[in-house]
Formats: sequence, C-alpha cells, structure tokens
Amino acid sequence: MLTVALPDAVELRSNATFEALMWALSRPGDIRTLPEAGFDAIAETLVDLECSAYADTPAMRERIVASGALLVDRIGAADHVFLTSIDNAGQQLAEINCGTALYPDDGATMIVAAAHGGPRVRLTGPGIEDTTEIALGVPPRFWAMREMLCLYPEGFDIFFIDGDKVIGLPRSTKVEVL
Amino acid sequence: MSLASLTKDWAATSYGFLDASAKRELRRKMLKAIAVPGCQMPYASREVPMARGWGTGGLQVTLTLVNSASVVKVIDQGADDGVNAASIRRFISRVSGAAETWDTLDATIVQSRHRIPEEIMREDQVLVLQVPNPEPLRGVEPNISIARQMHADADYGKLWLTLYEQIVRKGRIMQGASYPAMVNGRHVMTPSPIPRWDVPKLNMAKHLTFLSAGREKRLHAVPPYTRVEPLVFSDRAYQVEDHADLTCRRSGVQGFFMNELPQDGGGSVFEVSDSNLGIKAIDKADGNTTEIGETWYRNGEYSA
Repeated sequence: MLTVALPDAVELRSNATFEALMWALSRPGDIRTLPEAGFDAIAETLVDLECSAYADTPAMRERIVASGALLVDRIGAADHVFLTSIDNAGQQLAEINCGTALYPDDGATMIVAAAHGGPRVRLTGPGIEDTTEIALGVPPRFWAMREMLCLYPEGFDIFFIDGDKVIGLPRSTKVEVL
Repeated sequence: MSLASLTKDWAATSYGFLDASAKRELRRKMLKAIAVPGCQMPYASREVPMARGWGTGGLQVTLTLVNSASVVKVIDQGADDGVNAASIRRFISRVSGAAETWDTLDATIVQSRHRIPEEIMREDQVLVLQVPNPEPLRGVEPNISIARQMHADADYGKLWLTLYEQIVRKGRIMQGASYPAMVNGRHVMTPSPIPRWDVPKLNMAKHLTFLSAGREKRLHAVPPYTRVEPLVFSDRAYQVEDHADLTCRRSGVQGFFMNELPQDGGGSVFEVSDSNLGIKAIDKADGNTTEIGETWYRNGEYSA
C-alpha cells in the first residue's frame, strides 16, 4: 500500500501560485489572485538551482541565493528577473534574455511590481477571444522596448504583480498603447 | 544560513508523487509552452511508476497541476474504463487525494490518450493530452537538430509536400490521426494522435490544453482562444471522418466519433467512442436526470 504524503505548506502555496500564474499567462489581461502577496511565493514556485536570477532588492537577492539559484548582477544573464519597479532597471532592461528562434524557451520570465491601474493598453493575441483593454502602471517607452525585443517566437514573458493580484503577459500578446 | 534552512525533514514520498524540483521544472516549461503556443519545450521527464510510452508525459503534467480539490477524468481512446486509463486515474487520486470522475462536466483536469471529449470543455478546465511523437516533422526529417532549425525558420514545405503527395497518389489526404496543425500562425504542431474529428475542437477553444510526451521529453501547449488551423490546401477543404450518419448500437446516439466493430461475415457495427457520453445517453433514455453538456458536434456537424 502506498503511503500518501499530505501536502505541506510549501506544496499548497506553490500549487496555488502556479495555478494563478498559469491562468494569468493563458488569458493575458485577466487578473488572478495569488495565495500570497509579493515575490517570495513566486520564487518558491519557479526558481531553484537549475535557474539563474536577477533581483533589485537585497531581500529578494537573499531569497534567490537561498533557493540555490545562481544570483547574477546583470539582467541579461538571468532567466528569472524580479523587479520592484521597471524604472529601477533602466537601460539594462534592454539586455533581457529573449532566447533564440532555435530555443524560444530560453527567453526570460520577468516578475515585476506594477500597479494594475494607470495608462490603458489594448491586448490581442492567443488567450484573448477578441481584444481586451487593461490599465497598467507601466511607462509607454517600456512597451516600445518590448515591441523591439520580442521578435516572436523570441521574447520574454511578464507577470505584473500588484499586491496579491497578477496579470500575465506572454510574448505572443500584441500590446497597443491607447 | 543554517543547515536546517537548507534541508527538509525526511519524508517517504512527496505529495503528488513528483518531488518539488521536478514540479518546478515542469512549471517553468509549462509557462514557456503557454507563452509560445505549439512550440515544443524540452523537459527532463522524471521516472514515474509506469513505462515510458504509456502516458508518462501526460501523467507528469497532471501530477504538477493536481491538488486535493481537483477532479480528474482520464480517458483512453474515449473510454474511462480502459486498463491504462483506470490505473492512471487511480494512481493520481491515490497520490494526491483528488476526486475521480468519468463525467467531462465534473472534471477540472481531463487527461486523455488520443481523444478529446465530445462535450464542450469550459474555461476552467485543463485538457492534458498524452503524446507519443511530438515532432510533426519527424516523417520528413529524422534529424531532430535539423527539424528544430526548420521550426525556427517556419520551414514547413516538406510537410505540405507529403499532404500534396497523398492527394496526388490517393485522391485524398490519407493522414488519419496526428493531423499537423498550424498554431497561432507560426508553429506547426502535432495535436497528438487524435482523429481529424477532434482537431477543430482545439481551435479558439475555451479550455487550456497541454500536450506532453514523456518518452520524447517535450511538451507543448495550446492556450485558450488560440488559432489552430489544420494544414489544408485552399481548394481542398479539411475533412473529418465520415461518422456523422453512424449510430451507436448501444446508446443510440448519432453524429459523434464512433468505434468500428467488424463483424463475422463482413459488415460492421458502431459504438460511440466517448464512452461516458454513451453511458449518459443510456441513463437519460432510462428516465434518469442525467445532464449531457453542449457538444462540439451537433447532428454530426461541427458547430462551436
């Protein structure tokens, strides 16, 4: 008879976090609820010793080191990028890893804190039946940079975190600034 | 940093069988698969207590998704009671505490070998297809490195050529299952060996689909509302199997994909392939209140 392990707190949190991230990315623009606010649960869900990661706060850097992942000091060298603000990254953001046409899965995952309010953008692409409009606290120049970098299927995927809410934006989504 | 913070207490098994690092790797790849629909993402494919080729890819995806509130349906060629399907379903339920069901409407996760249920799947449901060969180009390019380059270049000429040759030689397209389909206008994928009947169900679907090949260590995904277009020539319409006029001998339903049972002395009888749909139809005919959901095909015509 199989001894069945009960889910521990980490497993429960990771499972629920992944479910939120998965549906957020499957339906760009939809707002999903994470079991816990902040980046910690997301790092716990996705990042381990097989990853490299960048973060812009000392606390998050510590969290990455504890996960066993390689902490890097350049955004371009990371496959997971944790930012508390897009502005913190400055010009370095343009270096973000977009993978290659041969290996699109090398493109980075960016987890960034951004208010789910502000300038409006219109989204189209897979996961969106027709079009959808959302408000995101992201400067228009970021969208211009993303458009330049994301040469589909190359590109990077973003989760915009506001408290315990998440909006996913895969590279396949077209963004139109309104 | 202390030793205690770096280690975990010993445990005989992990919840949901797969250990935490296996799940994290699958999660990362599943997210990338959603971000690039139809593009095959390599993953490690851990050992599970089942031989490779029996649904280990689908099982690993399901085990990553499952939690104790999940309701799991597993089908093998449409049937819930096949040995493979029943043991996979029981295994998932045992290691996760998830509920088991045969009813497509009740399920949160549907793991399937080579069929998509006839009832329309909802936006909160996940379909996990088991894939024996994830590479649509294998028939025309056995070298996987060159095939990868062809995907990168969107170079699908050879695939079109095989379809053209089938029409020239036989007068119609002979590809029965695994009909190649263009996803999001960019990547050609194999939809796993589902019949042609099922491919339109993936186009602009409400549900999320993962296709995972454990032996080949690759997975790809079709997010909701994503274009999935079977490769067809503009003057040769896509044709599904000629099952619209067949009637199930047990349940009497008509206009769905059927299993053909050849009879002694020639001729055939037919049974509906989505076995639980047949069961529900019989139940309903017996006067029970059984709910049959909206179906993708109505009167044998695709209409979603």
